Amino acid sequence: MRKQSAGFLFILPWLIGLVLFTLAPMIAAVYISLTDWTIVGEANFIGFDNYTHLFQSEEFYKSLWVTVRYALLAIPLIIATSLAISVMLDKGHKGVGIFRVVYYMPAIVSGVAVAIVFKWILDPNFGLINSILTFFNIKGPDWLYDPDWVLPSYLIMAVWGAGGSILTYLAALKDIPQDLYGAAMIDGAGTLQKVRFITVPMMTPIIFYNLIIGIIGAFRKFTDAYVLGGAGKEGNFIMVYLYEQAFNHYNMGYATALAWVLFAIILTLTIIVNATKKYWVHT
Amino acid sequence: MKRIGVLLIVLLLALHLIGCGRKKEESNNFEFATWAAGAELTDLREIVDKVNEAAAGEYVIEIQSIPSDYYVKISTQIAGKHSPDFFWMTQELVSKYAELGAIANLTSQFNESERLKPEEYYEGVLASATYKEKYWGLPWIANPMLVYYNKTMFEQIGIKVPTPTDDWTWEEFIQIARELTGKENYKGESTYGYVVDGWPNIETFIWAGGGDVIGEDGKTILLDSNESLKGVGYLQTIIAEGLTPRYAEIASLGSNNVWFEKQRVGMYMGGLQDNFEEKVNKMSEEAKFEIGYAPMPVCDDGTSWSFDWTASTVMKKDLEGNKLAYKALEDLTLAFFEWKVAPPVKNSVENVVKIAPLKDKAIETIEFTLLGARSANYVPEWSDINDKLWYNLYVKLLNDPTFDYKTEMKSIAEYSRGKIAARK
Repeated sequence: MRKQSAGFLFILPWLIGLVLFTLAPMIAAVYISLTDWTIVGEANFIGFDNYTHLFQSEEFYKSLWVTVRYALLAIPLIIATSLAISVMLDKGHKGVGIFRVVYYMPAIVSGVAVAIVFKWILDPNFGLINSILTFFNIKGPDWLYDPDWVLPSYLIMAVWGAGGSILTYLAALKDIPQDLYGAAMIDGAGTLQKVRFITVPMMTPIIFYNLIIGIIGAFRKFTDAYVLGGAGKEGNFIMVYLYEQAFNHYNMGYATALAWVLFAIILTLTIIVNATKKYWVHT
Repeated sequence: MKRIGVLLIVLLLALHLIGCGRKKEESNNFEFATWAAGAELTDLREIVDKVNEAAAGEYVIEIQSIPSDYYVKISTQIAGKHSPDFFWMTQELVSKYAELGAIANLTSQFNESERLKPEEYYEGVLASATYKEKYWGLPWIANPMLVYYNKTMFEQIGIKVPTPTDDWTWEEFIQIARELTGKENYKGESTYGYVVDGWPNIETFIWAGGGDVIGEDGKTILLDSNESLKGVGYLQTIIAEGLTPRYAEIASLGSNNVWFEKQRVGMYMGGLQDNFEEKVNKMSEEAKFEIGYAPMPVCDDGTSWSFDWTASTVMKKDLEGNKLAYKALEDLTLAFFEWKVAPPVKNSVENVVKIAPLKDKAIETIEFTLLGARSANYVPEWSDINDKLWYNLYVKLLNDPTFDYKTEMKSIAEYSRGKIAARK
C-alpha cells in the first residue's frame, strides 16, 4: 500500500499537468465550440451553429482540399524517399556518416527558418531553382506566386525534409535478420528481389508507424504554410485556416469547432489505416 | 481516502495559482501595451518617462512591449481578464473591439476635454477611431499616402512634373506612367512607370473611380457600384499594360519601395513616413536622384482622398469613465504628437520638419494630403470582407490582368451584405 502511494505521488505532478493542461482544455474546447466566443467578447451558447456554418463554408472545403491533396501526394513521396535513402545509408559505404548527418539535419532546423530559406530558393527571379533552370535555358515557374505551382512547391519542401524519419527506418533495417538475406542469396535472389521480398515486408511495421505520423503531420501542417502562404489561397492548409479564424477574425468558437472536426478526420483516417494493418503489415 | 484528499488539495492549489493569476489592485499605475521594439521602444520609454515625470506621482505609466503576435497576445490578455490599461490599436480593429465591448467609450471625456478636442483632429483621421458615432480611441499618428516621384527621371525624359498640390487625375497619372515605362535608368536597366503589388491597397483604386467598399453608415455595400468597378478598372489597366513590374517579379528586389529607390520605377505611392530622403542621401553620387512630391490623383467624383493609416491608443473597458486614466491617456497622446510624423491634429504640420527635417521639401504636399486623409469605413466584419478583397480580387488581378474582376466584385459585395446582415 505504501509502495503504491509512493508511486502515486511520483506521477502526481504529471497527473496534475494532464488534468489542467490537457483534459480541462479539451472539455472547455467542447463547450467553446458550441459558443460564439470572440476571445475579447462574451461567449454565448449557440448550439451546433458553428458546425452547421463550417459544413456550409466554401473556405473550409477549399482548405480541406488543399490539405488532403497535399497529404495524398506528400505522404507516399516522403515514405518512398526516406526509405530509399535509408536503404542506401544502411550499406555502410565510405563517408556514410556524413550523409546521415546531412539527411537528418532538416529535422532539427526550425520550421520558420526552413520556410524563409525556401522563400529564397523558390523565388521566381533570383531563386536557386530558377537560376539553375535558367542556366539550362529553361524558364522556371513562378512557384508560390502561381496557384498551379503552390502544391509542387510544398512537395519539394516535404521531400527536402524527408530525412526526419530516416532514423526510424535505419533502426528497423538493422533489425532485419541477416540470415534471411543469406537464404535468399542461396535461392538465387537478386538485389531487387531481396528488397521486394525481404526488406520492404520486414519494414512494414515502421512504414505503418510513419504513415500514421505522416497523416497527422500533413493535417497539422502549419509553420511553413503560415510563413509562405501561396497564390490563390493554395497554401491555405486547414491549420492555417483555423489559426486565421481564431486570431485574425476572432471567431474562436468557430475555430474550436474546426479543431474538433480536424480531430475527427485524423481519428477516422487513423482507424481506417489501422484496419488495413492486417492485410499488409508484417507481424 | 486520504490520498484522494491530498490529490484534491493539490489540484485546487494548482487551479488557484493558474486560474487566478496576479490580482491587480486599484491603483494609479497604468499598464500600456505597445508593439514598439528596438530603437522605437527606446524612444517610447523616454517619452513615457517624461510623461510620468510631469505627472509628479499622480499616476505612473508602465510599458509592456509586445513586438510580435501583438493582437494575439492582447486578445488573450483581455480574455484572461488581464487587459493592459491602454494599448495601441490599428484602425481596422477599433470597430471590432468596440462592438465586442472590449474597449472603453471615450466620447464624453473627449468631448469635454479642454486640452485635446475632437475638432482639433483631421476629420478623416479621427473617423478611424469612431464607430457608431462614438469615439473609442485617441489617434496618435497619421500616415497618409502621397506620390513620390523621381524628378531627375522626369526631367531627363522630358515629362512635366506635377506640382506639390497638383489636381492631376488618375487618367493623367496613368498617362505619365506610360511615358515612364520602357525607358532606361542610370544603370541601363528598363524602367516602369509605377509599382503595384498589393500596395497601394484596393481601397485606393476603388476610391479612384468615385466608389467605396462600404458607405459611411457602415451598412451599405458600395463595392459593386459602377464607380467602384471603374476604379478597379484603373488598376487593371496598370497591370495589363505592364506599367508596373510583374507581381512575381516585385519581391525579387526585396519589396516594392526598393524599385523606386533603385530607379526602376518613376513613381511610388507611399506613406509620408517612408524615409526615401534619408536613403537617397546615403547613396553614391551616381545613384542619387531628386525626389519630387505630389498629392494622390483626384478621384473621378472630384474628391482627393489619400488612404491614411492611423493607430489609436485605446483604453480597456473597465476604465470607462475613469478620470485619472483618461488624463494619463491624454497626456500620453499629446506627447506622441511631438514624436511621430505626422501628428494627426491640425495646425501642427510644422512639427513634421522638426521631427523629420529631411521632409522639408514635402511639407506643402503633406499639408495638402492631410486634409484629404481618410481610411476605409471599417466595420466589425472588415477582416472577413478584406480577406475576400485581397485573395479573391486583388491577388487574382495581379496574377492575371484578364481576370473578370467585375463579376468577382459583385460576388464579394453579396458576401459582404450577408455578413453585415448577420451582425447581431
